Amino acid sequence: MTEPTAVKRLSLMARLHLRERIRDRDQAIYGILFLGALVFPMATLFITGGSTAYISQAAHAGTWVLLAIGLNVVVGFAGLLDLGYAAFFAIGAYTYALFASSQLGTSPLHHNFHLPFFLMLIIGMLVAASFGALLGFPTLRLRGDYLAIVTLGFGEIVPVLSYNLPQWTGGINAIGGIDQPWLPAWITGPWAGANSVSIIQDATCRNPLAQTQFIPCFSFGFDPVAYYVLIVILIIGAVILVSNLYRSRLGRAWMAIREDETAAAAMGINTVTTKLLAFAIGASFSGFAGAYYGASFDLVSPDDFLFVVSITVLVMVVLGGMGNISGVIVGALVIYFILNTLLPSLASNAESLANSIGLGSLNTQKGDWPGLYGEVQRLQFLLFGLILVMIMLLRPQGLFPSRVREQELKHDAVVEEETVAEQVPSR
Amino acid sequence: MALLELRDVNAFYGRIQALRKVNLEVDKGEVVALIGSNGAGKTTTLRTISGLMHPAGGSIHFDGRDITQTGPSKIVELGISQSPEGRRLFPRMTVVDNLFMGAYTRNDKPGITADMDRVFTLFPRLKERRTQIAGTLSGGEQQMLAMGRAMMARPKVLMLDEPSLGLAPILIETIFSIVREINAQGVPVLLVEQNASKALEVAHRAYVLETGSIVKTGTGKELLASEDVQKAYLGI
Repeated sequence: MTEPTAVKRLSLMARLHLRERIRDRDQAIYGILFLGALVFPMATLFITGGSTAYISQAAHAGTWVLLAIGLNVVVGFAGLLDLGYAAFFAIGAYTYALFASSQLGTSPLHHNFHLPFFLMLIIGMLVAASFGALLGFPTLRLRGDYLAIVTLGFGEIVPVLSYNLPQWTGGINAIGGIDQPWLPAWITGPWAGANSVSIIQDATCRNPLAQTQFIPCFSFGFDPVAYYVLIVILIIGAVILVSNLYRSRLGRAWMAIREDETAAAAMGINTVTTKLLAFAIGASFSGFAGAYYGASFDLVSPDDFLFVVSITVLVMVVLGGMGNISGVIVGALVIYFILNTLLPSLASNAESLANSIGLGSLNTQKGDWPGLYGEVQRLQFLLFGLILVMIMLLRPQGLFPSRVREQELKHDAVVEEETVAEQVPSR
Repeated sequence: MALLELRDVNAFYGRIQALRKVNLEVDKGEVVALIGSNGAGKTTTLRTISGLMHPAGGSIHFDGRDITQTGPSKIVELGISQSPEGRRLFPRMTVVDNLFMGAYTRNDKPGITADMDRVFTLFPRLKERRTQIAGTLSGGEQQMLAMGRAMMARPKVLMLDEPSLGLAPILIETIFSIVREINAQGVPVLLVEQNASKALEVAHRAYVLETGSIVKTGTGKELLASEDVQKAYLGI
């Protein structure tokens, strides 16, 4: 009699301890990420002697982090599998590109718009959110695989439209000459180093006040540091927003729908509006990301929003740990690093490795053998697949799963304890 | 007029008729049992009341209001909540979160906290396990949680679908004594059960459902004593 009681106490204690540790882990990840984000630009500037190439890459990675945070709302929180997320990214990017370039001047509208970036961030967000709700409507009755197929279709429609509406979107020629964000000159901030600051007192800022010379303005131009700071601020804002949403009433409703839609309806949750809000809010973050992307790349082309983008973001979410914001951020960074740094540099690294260990003969092209460099380059995506499979085998719940998911995977162990505890009379 | 009243309710699954002109009433303060064998239409009756499906004919009135075509979220707000068949907890949410989901339609924080305490008094086991993930609870605890969750809506009518399903005899006792306790607090209960003898012991009144129609009705005691019922459902 006393023994099972002891087992029960111990397991409860162990569980409590575990829970505390996991909660701390999320805080720790945020802390490390934040510190990393602060130190990263200075460190790379110092190490590379002033080259901003890495900072530019990191800023680009930030776009993906934003996308992953947004998709996590739809897939991770509400459990709605969305395979067409790139469509919202495209909508955000095109919204900014159209209203902050000369594109609309050559369109049937014959009028240029040059709305400021920070206003367009909000507008892009709203436009993407409305399209999210628009996609949500026809899919409300669908679940699981069927929902995924409809979203897949939506994800295909948007790039196809942008290819085929050249008078609006520039079609295959893309939209270029997009305005850069600007700020009044006195907020150039510490990131604007002596050689990268560009105070421009002309129309490039598209600032009516600046043109009258009263308020000089600071254009971001193509200064990666400025974009880096901007995206870090956007991500921090997004994280705060999403984690508050997650804890809110709406967040709980999403979770309930993910767990059991019928039961959720029986609890009095309006499943229609809740699902629509998931789509709309999830989409709004890619609206952010799209506007940022358009501004920082100065080019918005239909090729940037193909199916592979949706899948990559989904991989980031799943691999990072569905439903857990900090995990998803890490997942996005890891996948971005693998895709954009590790894999492209693999071929030349393999070549030099072969040289240094005396296998230089492998590098020469012979018959069908394309040389080590060529071979590795061919195998890039096979390796990517292998890496993904390996990670999912080693950590099926994602790199940093949400607390709940982690416990669920410990379910079997707990159930075993439970049957022991069951033998103890409850009162 | 009774608090909850079903009049000539017909319901279909596709082309198969599941309910044929079901008439049923639940009044204030009552425990009403709905017994019958597998596939008799007990769960269907509850689903039509809670708005998860709509009747093809007939009407449902609650608290003087026609709720025949009302949606499930509105019906919960009006005051009918249920512990559904198979419990249907949110398996990956904690006990406390599950209870909060039960109070989803409510906004009065102090009231919710008070009801949470009330549920914990009814089910001390849930209090012990409040931070645990619902999917990891034992069957009996899950049933308690499903009932507690339904209580969190502060219902005017509580519907319990097969609360004794799959539970050990000692736990069934506990569950039914809790049903009595809930009723003693003034909540009318509509109880769907296959365990007819237990249900009839607890119930003030009961209906016997057979292939979609009500074939017998009376007080719990009457039905317990009735020969037909004994033969068909009590195995005496």
